[in-house]
Amino acid sequence: MLPYLLKRLLHTVYVIIGISVISFFFIHLSGDPVMLMLPGDASHQEIEDLRERLGFNDPIPVQYVRFAWNAVRGDFGESLYYHVPVMELIVERLPASIELAVAAMVLALVVAVPIGIVSAIKRGSLLDMGAMLGALFGLSMPHFWLGIMLMLLFSVQLGWLPTSGRGTWLHLIMPATALGMSLMAMFARLTRSVMLEVLSLDYIRTARAKGLKERMVIGKHALKNALIPLVTVAGMQFGFLIGGTVIIETVFAWPGLGRLVVQAIFNRDYPLVQAIVLVMAVIFVGMNLLVDLLYIYLDPQISYLEDK
Amino acid sequence: MKRSFLFPLFVILGCVLMVAPVPTSAMDADTLVVIQEAEPVGLDLMRSSIQTTMSPCYNLHDTLFHPQEDATVKPALAEKWEKVDDLTWKIHLRKDATFHNGETVNAQAVKFSFDRVFDEDIQSPHKGKLSAFTELTVIDDHTITIKTEAPYAPGLYMLGYYLPIVPPKYIAEKGDSEYNTHPVGSGPYKLKEWVRGEAVIMERFDDYYGPKPAYKTIIFKGIPEEASRIASLVTGEAHVISGVPVHQREKIKDSGKAYLTPQMGVMPYLGINTYEAPFDDVRVRRAVNHAINRELIGKALFNGEAIICAGPISPRTFGANPDLEPYPFDPAKAKALLKEAGHPDGIEARLAYPTYMSQIQEQAEVIAANLGEAGIKVTLEPYERAVMWERYKGKQHQMFIYWWDDAPEPDRYMYSLFHSESRDYYYKNPKVDELLDKGRTIMDREERAKVYHEIDRILYEDCPWAFMYVVPEVFGVANGVDYKGRRDGFLNMRYAKPKG
Amino acid sequence: MTAAGFKQAATERLGPRLRLMGETAREVARRPSALAGGILLALILLTSLTFPLFYDVDPLKMDLLARFSPPAWQEGGSWAHPLGTDNLGRDILSRLLWGSRVSLLVGFSAVLVAAIAGIILGLISGYYGGRIDSVIMRIADIFMAYPFMLLTISIIAVLGSSILNLILVLGISDWVTYARTIRGSVLSLKEKEFVEASRAIGTSHPVIIVRHILPNVISPLLILATLRVANIIIWESGLSFLGMGTPPPMPTWGRMLAEGRIYITDAWWLVCLPGIAIMITILSTNLLGDGLRDALDPRLRNL
Repeated sequence: MLPYLLKRLLHTVYVIIGISVISFFFIHLSGDPVMLMLPGDASHQEIEDLRERLGFNDPIPVQYVRFAWNAVRGDFGESLYYHVPVMELIVERLPASIELAVAAMVLALVVAVPIGIVSAIKRGSLLDMGAMLGALFGLSMPHFWLGIMLMLLFSVQLGWLPTSGRGTWLHLIMPATALGMSLMAMFARLTRSVMLEVLSLDYIRTARAKGLKERMVIGKHALKNALIPLVTVAGMQFGFLIGGTVIIETVFAWPGLGRLVVQAIFNRDYPLVQAIVLVMAVIFVGMNLLVDLLYIYLDPQISYLEDK
Repeated sequence: MKRSFLFPLFVILGCVLMVAPVPTSAMDADTLVVIQEAEPVGLDLMRSSIQTTMSPCYNLHDTLFHPQEDATVKPALAEKWEKVDDLTWKIHLRKDATFHNGETVNAQAVKFSFDRVFDEDIQSPHKGKLSAFTELTVIDDHTITIKTEAPYAPGLYMLGYYLPIVPPKYIAEKGDSEYNTHPVGSGPYKLKEWVRGEAVIMERFDDYYGPKPAYKTIIFKGIPEEASRIASLVTGEAHVISGVPVHQREKIKDSGKAYLTPQMGVMPYLGINTYEAPFDDVRVRRAVNHAINRELIGKALFNGEAIICAGPISPRTFGANPDLEPYPFDPAKAKALLKEAGHPDGIEARLAYPTYMSQIQEQAEVIAANLGEAGIKVTLEPYERAVMWERYKGKQHQMFIYWWDDAPEPDRYMYSLFHSESRDYYYKNPKVDELLDKGRTIMDREERAKVYHEIDRILYEDCPWAFMYVVPEVFGVANGVDYKGRRDGFLNMRYAKPKG
Repeated sequence: MTAAGFKQAATERLGPRLRLMGETAREVARRPSALAGGILLALILLTSLTFPLFYDVDPLKMDLLARFSPPAWQEGGSWAHPLGTDNLGRDILSRLLWGSRVSLLVGFSAVLVAAIAGIILGLISGYYGGRIDSVIMRIADIFMAYPFMLLTISIIAVLGSSILNLILVLGISDWVTYARTIRGSVLSLKEKEFVEASRAIGTSHPVIIVRHILPNVISPLLILATLRVANIIIWESGLSFLGMGTPPPMPTWGRMLAEGRIYITDAWWLVCLPGIAIMITILSTNLLGDGLRDALDPRLRNL
């Protein structure tokens, strides 16, 4: 167990370093932010001075090493745009992002898993076909479009829900639905197909043949096996969710990391972009690690020594 | 194996509970909610020139003077003042003003604030606007003198906007970074809490020297989506909103829940690179001016609310030349001018515009179509903020759309945009430089107006821009609130009060 | 190497491929939903190629005084503009039709770019294994963990936006899925007898890859590509929505959506219709992709 864990951790560290290198070079390729930081009437000398002061005249590798050295000591610098330490900004925004992602994920699971199970049991019924068609539509909708349509219906036309921003549970409904729709569709399909597979397995047949109640068969045996792929996919998707909320956050003015980072890219706020990308990557990699551990927990038969 | 079911469920539940949203505080009659297009980037007025940042800041910070709609000033932290000579003002501060933390507003604080604007570490964007001032001297605890290099007519007006007075002790103690998030000013409101991404909450400052503001609590929020902002006003979530596009205005009026009040205007313009062919020929630039159908754009895209401009100075601004007629829309004439300039088959050109402002793309597309009909084949180049600005400063644009607000004081933008010492990226004219310098120094209003009339005329004829129109912006205000927008476009909530 | 062995290698190489193709077509045709998806997609492609023959309206022609005309069936609409006009009085139907070309072009080309990059890297990685495999897979891990939207946004910010850049960026950002799938297939194929046989007679590696391995990874690739088209089209519209798509004047669905968004309360058709267009297109590729997967993946097929 321990060597496996160590190996995974090492892998995590190296992925994070890789990401920091890539994002550092990309953002520095896009040009430096000095011009943006100064007003239109700033002189050439002022521009040069600021560039020198901020260290943008050094070669990029030198700048990277400086960044990395500070970062390992926990110093990610100060935002060029907001003039406050970037970690402060991130800590303020992260809860909103996590809240939205968790809400979308929970909503998707709560709706999709029962639908998937019922569809699998009543395979080929009208209900099954309806649900799967619905899931297909859910998968085929651009989520930001769905968000706008929800807003049009529930805020503009009916006035039931607040249009945007964060605050109460009501604020959460539309962005979470828009964000969670494709997940919902994905989970419903996944649950259904996994259940179908499990239900056809020998031991379920045996259980049935032994005269166990259908509810027991499904609840105890089938569902347990279906859980593994569900957890895997949900964990993976959660990592994507944190980074993939950019447009939804824009549409609903949700004060999360996505909106912050897009603005930061546009503003060339290097330290901020760099730090946010890292945080998102850490969450993503961390979720994957967690999924792997859960995997072991759920199915002790899986050998953790095996190189996956 | 029940365990395996419950465990992930607990994990999920735990996460949900941990991040459960905090309900916002209940609204009451004493609270005013202001919704802008964006939340402030910081709350240190010295460090930002962004409208949506400066607005909340003016509620927290105070300045020496309160600028008026006609570009004059009224006393604020300065009680009275006199001219010592053409280059020097002597300013007497009021003695009863304090910062929110109890520090007194005195001459030393003013001096500290003045020096801080020019401090390298602050990178204040207002440095350039105050560059006419050379020296601020403390005479006694409540008296200062301030000197300019040359006589500077709009001096007090500029100080009224761009020299917020900040507390020296507090800043020395907390540092500049902390000050940007937890500022202490001397304005009518003090900061209660800033939940970044959600709201800036301010409370009435009871020791404020001036009239007591009507509302106890002011909440500033940022909502980028237009439709959401307007919905929030109509549903009563907000009392005052900014960024009300023309096509939404009827809706607000028809809702019966709110009304509109005018504020500053946005003046889009089409800049032209006058240094390079083919636009180094004034006839080509005039052709561009004749090719654009301003009237139709104003009517269709701005519901007839756009005010057509003849020259670069907004018709609403002091100094605009009343004798100039806007270039008439005349594609035939434009073609003839192009032919005269040696382009019988027309020309090709690039038109850059920034993507972050609503309705700019629409205008760019219409203008491109207009120019196309006059024989100027346009390639549109949308750029995001940073790239647009960089290419602008790098003289890489051929034609570009930017905008300015039509402030009451002409020097504020004319000097910045047309004086070659400020920016000479696409146009330079020694005569204009000379007149702009002169315009600053004349104290007599009538005489001063004449100088700006002349500048307006020269630029009108020289066409460094295609002149367009001013679109008056409005604030939407809930019916229960009495608030009148101002030409500077800042949301100073000390002037708001309940109606009736 | 015996003659029999060689012959067996040849049939192993060709046999499954030929058999699969015919069977796949039959399998797909047997499923009504997959068939519907295929037909729908074919119709969309056909329309997007031939529409100028029956609906020849200039998508750029403005009529500022006729902006926001509603669709014909609504009060105030007219058949001059069957789906109404946009914020500059341009014909929406025509813009949707022209926009389909961009969306489909970007969607299919980006998938092609991603697939080619993914095939090459996946083949190399899977076939040669060892150090090069671990290097490629490590890079893939980094790409997987990099927030996708941010990657594309930052690259576009560097390169500027044009159709070509969009295709490249979306393609490059999406190679990992292909590379991993291909690598997996290659790993299992590598040990197969016909490959070993072929190696034994001294066939060079590239030839083995091209003649023996590649044909056998076509089917997972096809499934994947069909399903990824949908994602790419959504991403393209998402980027356009953020103002990072192809520049005007040529319409794209994503930009139509973005431009219409501010007029959502004035004219619902501006945002609604491009969204529906995107949805129908994606629905068709999803249906087809599902059908292909069911037809080609024996594990699920047996259910």
